Amino acid sequence: MLAFKLAFRNLMGAGLRTWLNVIILSLAFVMIIWFKGMLDGWDREAKMDSIAWEYGGGEYWQKDYDPLDAFTLTESHSKLNRDQLNEIDKGNLIPVLISQGTIYPDGRMQTILIKGIDKNQSFLKLPTARLDTMINEIPAIIGANMAKTNRLEVGDIMTLRWRDVNGTFDANEIQITDIFQTNVPSVDGGQIWIDIDRHREMMLMPDEATILVCNSDFRQDIIYEGWDFKDLDFLLKEIDEIIKTKSIGGSTFYFILLMLAWLAIFDTQVLSIFRRQKEIGTYIAMGMTKRQVVGIFTVEGAMHSILAVFVGSLYGIPLFWQQASKGINFGMDGSEFGITMAETLYPYYTLGLVVTTIIIVVLTTTLVSYLPAKKISKMNPTEALKGKTT
Amino acid sequence: MKKTAIILFILIPILLNAQYPNGKDILDKIDQNMSAKSTIYTSKMIIHGNRGDRTVESKSWIIGDKKAYTEYLNPARERGTKMLKLEDQLWLYSPSTDRTIQIAGHMLRQSVMGSDLSYEDMMDDSKLSDHYSADVIREETIVDRKCWVIEMNATDNTVSYPKRIVWVDIERNVPLKEELYAKGGKLLKKTELYDVKKVSGRWYPMRIVFKDMLKEGEGTEFIVDEIEFNKDIPEAIFSKGSLKK
Amino acid sequence: MIRFIIKGLLRDSHRSILPIIVVSLGVMLTVLMNAWITGVMGDSIEFSAKFSSGHVKIMTRSYAENTAQNPIDLSLSNASELEASLNTEYPDLTWVERITFGGLIDSPDENGETKAQGPALGMGIDLLSENSEEIDRLNIRNSLKRGNFPQNPGEVLISEQFSQKLGVNPGDEITLISSTMYGSMAIANFKVSGTVAFGFAAMDRGAVIADIEDIRLALDMYDATGEILGFFNEGYFDRELADALVMDFNEKYSDPNDEFSPQMVSLTDQGSLSMMVSYAENMTGIIAFIFILVMSIVLWNAGLLSGLRRYGEVGLRLAIGEEKGHIYRSLISESVVIGIIGSTTGTMLGLFFAYILQTKGLDISGMMDDAKIMMPTIMRARITTETYYLGFIPGLFSTVLGTMLSGIGIYKRQTAQLFKELET
Repeated sequence: MLAFKLAFRNLMGAGLRTWLNVIILSLAFVMIIWFKGMLDGWDREAKMDSIAWEYGGGEYWQKDYDPLDAFTLTESHSKLNRDQLNEIDKGNLIPVLISQGTIYPDGRMQTILIKGIDKNQSFLKLPTARLDTMINEIPAIIGANMAKTNRLEVGDIMTLRWRDVNGTFDANEIQITDIFQTNVPSVDGGQIWIDIDRHREMMLMPDEATILVCNSDFRQDIIYEGWDFKDLDFLLKEIDEIIKTKSIGGSTFYFILLMLAWLAIFDTQVLSIFRRQKEIGTYIAMGMTKRQVVGIFTVEGAMHSILAVFVGSLYGIPLFWQQASKGINFGMDGSEFGITMAETLYPYYTLGLVVTTIIIVVLTTTLVSYLPAKKISKMNPTEALKGKTT
Repeated sequence: MKKTAIILFILIPILLNAQYPNGKDILDKIDQNMSAKSTIYTSKMIIHGNRGDRTVESKSWIIGDKKAYTEYLNPARERGTKMLKLEDQLWLYSPSTDRTIQIAGHMLRQSVMGSDLSYEDMMDDSKLSDHYSADVIREETIVDRKCWVIEMNATDNTVSYPKRIVWVDIERNVPLKEELYAKGGKLLKKTELYDVKKVSGRWYPMRIVFKDMLKEGEGTEFIVDEIEFNKDIPEAIFSKGSLKK
Repeated sequence: MIRFIIKGLLRDSHRSILPIIVVSLGVMLTVLMNAWITGVMGDSIEFSAKFSSGHVKIMTRSYAENTAQNPIDLSLSNASELEASLNTEYPDLTWVERITFGGLIDSPDENGETKAQGPALGMGIDLLSENSEEIDRLNIRNSLKRGNFPQNPGEVLISEQFSQKLGVNPGDEITLISSTMYGSMAIANFKVSGTVAFGFAAMDRGAVIADIEDIRLALDMYDATGEILGFFNEGYFDRELADALVMDFNEKYSDPNDEFSPQMVSLTDQGSLSMMVSYAENMTGIIAFIFILVMSIVLWNAGLLSGLRRYGEVGLRLAIGEEKGHIYRSLISESVVIGIIGSTTGTMLGLFFAYILQTKGLDISGMMDDAKIMMPTIMRARITTETYYLGFIPGLFSTVLGTMLSGIGIYKRQTAQLFKELET
């Protein structure tokens, strides 16, 4: 306890020097927490968005379904069995039927995916209610990026051509009834969404589906023959990868930042010990062991980090609070280049994150403070008392 | 009085209809006119592309409607390329690679040589009367020729186009125009046939224009340069081995 | 005077060594950090540039509108003529031709008949000419999984995953079925010399990489190319230069009424790379600023410390009658010397490590098993002109500033007190 009191008094006595060190350390603190928080926020948001728009609580894929190979779509659909239909009625599963088609906006030909989904569903964020309109054409909704690349607007009518289960050509007009903004590129680019009943009629595939999206609280241990369950770990792997790359790049950044702070503290420590030899000699003369003196100096250095926590929170908390509530606008929409990323990111700070960061910084600062202080144990107390180093 | 009016009202369409021949009979007549035991022809296909027009010349040997063998003659790049159709299988041989490639699955839906025709369209050899009902719906004149307009509706679901409308020259039993419709009734493709000439007792169109109606563009022209019917064709030609020769 | 200061610094290591070490380390970290951030930020952009967008890219007008479909029928003709004038008019860039095409790969059985087929995404690049940079640009050498690199015309690389799907091994022959620039059927045989794995699905599923001349032959593209990509010789994208270049080129060569006339687009015009570039520019700026700020504080602190360290010495000098202003000035001159030596050493060290990180890079592919996304797997630092001088800002100015602030104390000292202080 004495060590703490002494350390605190010494630090306060050093004035400006202490505060400069503390400010740097606090900057390191705030940067680490901010950056981590931003990545966690992105991670969380991207995953939440993907879950909300696309994956729900996981998906059952018809065994031949391969999202990267559109050619498999002619094979990858099956009739749903009674159990599955029951779950659908209960709202636990949403069937999605996927097929290939061609749209002709202004005579241009564009191969797309037709995705049929229940217009009454509500657990995915897709505005499927807009498929429930009585118009002459087939109501269809598309994402904003799809709309942009094909220069489409709400109300636009164009021809859609497809081949039913037998390969027979069919074509009809579709009307865009809604354009939705989403951060999830995989429900946006190169596809249109229509009502699944209509889609099944078009394809002559009654009661069939390509994938089944699970409701978030649906038990997923049920095995349906001919269907593979893909859990969220599998479906969200892509987001994990992006975040991982970013956090590796970021770690390097704040590691170097921390090194700078350590450098400052190390320097301060070396100087204190050099200048305060008499003080050290006095402590020893007063009966302290060398270890205790090393302790005092180490605590003194480490206390920088404690002060830094307070200083950091002075400007950090308002900053974090403001960003977590207002979000950070990066002025770009990641979904345009195929990454699930919102234009505005809401950093996500957890207690765990803050506590771990504090522990790491305090521990490393202690270590950095200890290294120069170690020198004390090699000092000759009488010489030290005279103010001379050996 | 009222009664007779009603009876007349019901009868008139029936009576009128009775004036029209049976659609299937007309289809049979077309078959009789146009299909032979064997056919050999040389033709040109003119494809309108982004970079101007291209002409591909070929010679084909056909027996019935199940066996066909085509050798491409021009331009130089295409020379020696051969295509063999046996029943529902299609092979392609290219001399520069010395490979025989089976065209199957999704390949079938690709366009042939950049034209408005797909391999699948080419492969379509089933007899129309086997898969479609045929009703004459009216009479119409196309370029001074009187035609029956026949509406054909698919009787099973194995066909690509569930509805076709054909304009058939009443006198010559040659189709002059055909429209292919999607199930929902949308016009997808249109074929127009011109320059009908008499060749060894048959009336035959020497120029055909195919057009994909959903796409912008001028379509593909098919011109028959020479055609012969019922010549003997050695069976050996319709084998994979003959592709490499 | 300066000689005297340097002598002093050399002889009294307490005065010089520690401050110089601190300054050097700090400057080194600043320099390294700057290079690292610039590199990592720039990498994602350079990655797209290398694989698809170039720093600038020339296509025909209609090709540009339909790029997603790899419309080789809309390719640029008379490519060599255009490339020759590009090389004379814009020698600051390296111009390369590439053809991206779709098609089907067919692998034969022992009778030469179809064994397996699969859709392919092909890329025709300069693989065979002696000093082709394309191989390194696309990082193909490091991506090789099995077999060898193509040595002769007619040899191609296919992705490992694709080769397994087709049951093809290095040395086997495959056939490409595609359509020519004029829409005819194109069939060509290639020998698989090796397989590659890029680490992202778009390429790994069905990539075929062939020499551009082979592809020209196969797709009837005599003297034509899908795209001409331009890369700045410095190796990095420069938005202003690129924008000026695009303006100049389109003014001279592009005709809005001719769909086949060439049109140049800058990296920032393609997709949302523009956002990415501004984002990177901003982030690099912010981070550099924070770093300089932090570094300045650290070195200011160091300056303060050295002032304190030499409390006794200053007292002695005052006692023997040296003028306060003279001492102050000499301390500052000393700090300038320390700042320069420290900053130079630090910058050199920083550049050294940055150079290592730039050439070797930090391989994160081990941490990213089987990635689904197209992302660089090696993170690199990047040395720019900025890197050379940036370290001097905190290194020199902060050191001097620190000394100036701490030196003020000299004026507060009372001569009468000096001997007392010295006695103890």
